[in-house]
Amino acid sequence: MSSAIALHNVRKTFRVPEREPGLRGSLRGLIRKRAREIVAVDDLSFAIAPGERVAFLGPNGAGKSTTLKILSGILQPSAGQVRVLGLEPGRERRRLAYRIGVVFGQRSQLWSHLPAADTFDLLARIYELEPAEYRQRRDELVASFAIADVVEKPVRQLSLGERMRCELVASLLHRPEILFLDEPTIGLDVVAKATIRDLLRERGRRDGCTILLTSHDTGDMAGVCERVLVIHHGRLLLDRSLDGLRKGFIARKRISVVTEEAELTLDLPGVRRLPSASHRSDFELDLGVVGVDRVVAAIVAGARVLDLSVEDPPMEEVVSAIYASALSAGPRP
Amino acid sequence: MSTERFAREAGKYAAIAWLGARRALSERAAVAGRALFLAVILFIFGRVWATVLGPGGRVGAAGRDELIFYLAVTEWCLLSVPPLYLSIEGDVRSGDVASQMVRPVSYVGAQLADALGETALRMCVLGPTAALVAWWIAGGWPADPRGLWLALPLGLLASTLAVLSTAAIGVSAFWIVDTSPIYWIWQKLAFVLGGLMLPLELYPDWLRAAARFSPFPAMLWGPGRMAFGFAPGAALETLAELVVWGTLAALLLVWLARRARTRIALAGG
Repeated sequence: MSSAIALHNVRKTFRVPEREPGLRGSLRGLIRKRAREIVAVDDLSFAIAPGERVAFLGPNGAGKSTTLKILSGILQPSAGQVRVLGLEPGRERRRLAYRIGVVFGQRSQLWSHLPAADTFDLLARIYELEPAEYRQRRDELVASFAIADVVEKPVRQLSLGERMRCELVASLLHRPEILFLDEPTIGLDVVAKATIRDLLRERGRRDGCTILLTSHDTGDMAGVCERVLVIHHGRLLLDRSLDGLRKGFIARKRISVVTEEAELTLDLPGVRRLPSASHRSDFELDLGVVGVDRVVAAIVAGARVLDLSVEDPPMEEVVSAIYASALSAGPRP
Repeated sequence: MSTERFAREAGKYAAIAWLGARRALSERAAVAGRALFLAVILFIFGRVWATVLGPGGRVGAAGRDELIFYLAVTEWCLLSVPPLYLSIEGDVRSGDVASQMVRPVSYVGAQLADALGETALRMCVLGPTAALVAWWIAGGWPADPRGLWLALPLGLLASTLAVLSTAAIGVSAFWIVDTSPIYWIWQKLAFVLGGLMLPLELYPDWLRAAARFSPFPAMLWGPGRMAFGFAPGAALETLAELVVWGTLAALLLVWLARRARTRIALAGG
């Protein structure tokens, strides 16, 4: 099967003007402009199969948005090859535009003074949708995203969560084969984030749409995607399935146990007691020192257990561990 | 490009223009403010001309009433033009320009269509406002009001030329970011060389001759002088000038838009 997205040794550099400090520096800058080269994306290669839902993670300035702009044809790479749905985005931007959807969480594609329904009608013209097909698709998405009661209100009167649902509907009207999402849940509250994630996952499954999602929020990754790419300093740091990521980078686990005894004490190396309540004890395990089986055996031997659960740490900790390992490897030469 | 393809592409921009007009209509306070400003300007200059010329006084072919209608037409052309340069500059500053380039339409073309839709709406509101206020201040229509009908299509083209010019100024934001200084120069030149308040007939010969080398007389004086009487020859002359200057402005805009597109692709938004 050919890839929906394929990057091969892609590099993107920008020349950024540099100003010298002070009045003398400013005057000198008028005559001789200085600039330095910034490497935003460096030798980046990966491929995404049709229908995959992939999270693209990285700290600020890692090159996520630049990569997304290269993939959607806004930016031309300085070197390397890019193919999206068999097209070269930089040269065939308009042809590609009919086949992809893009949502920038911090930008709006809706006319703020008008109802979202008006923008949908305009997008139907822009994407050259047949009227009957458009109406059917719009009605289906409006129902699926539960925006029937807000779609006729001016966009500026909508909450951020409602607006984002309208943004997603706008980006899906033309049945894109790939959906690029740049921080789609930024600024949303917990409930709205969960709703957006559920909708994206469901829509990806139903339409068979490939999703590439950038985010700082690991909840987006866990809630929508099945594969994770981590980028740092413009380079690909990690490419794993979500399960693989959990297994490979989880150095600690948590055990919660409910016992008949009011308190449970464990005296094992690599086990730390967390703040606990009466009859309930929480422990954190350093898997490099002690195994889960040994700890569970010690618990069962020392108390009458009513309930016991073993949990992975939150995804934030996993990703922090990845970034930390990258930083400890030192800055890029 | 096939006829069908061309029609589909034109249909997209027509739909954007229609939405631009609807957006402008939803901004009622802004439209009402401009109409009020136009009425105040006409009132003040009506009084100025009455004082300067006195009863029955004339300047060349124009009396007080013709001068009021001249100003009504020139202000109508200029006030109908939205600040498109600010809109493009804002997109460049905020980075919104990149997010708008993911659609299968030209960014500059979409901005232009949106502004032309807004211009059309404003012309529909400001035209009757200008005519009624001028009629009220002058106490009637000019001696030969048939020329005012000729001012309608000329004013439409003149405002289109102004929108094209402000679009080109806005696109310069891709290089200089702050476009206000260029707009102010353009606006002041339009006021002076275009004859916004005084017809070019009142200018010294050398200034009038110099002004005719710029697009501004076609944009303001050309439609405005239709208030002096029915002059099909002068209207055709202005029409030809507007077509030539409009074509040049459109070509300049296309060239700038292509260079801006290349700049974004290489240097980012």
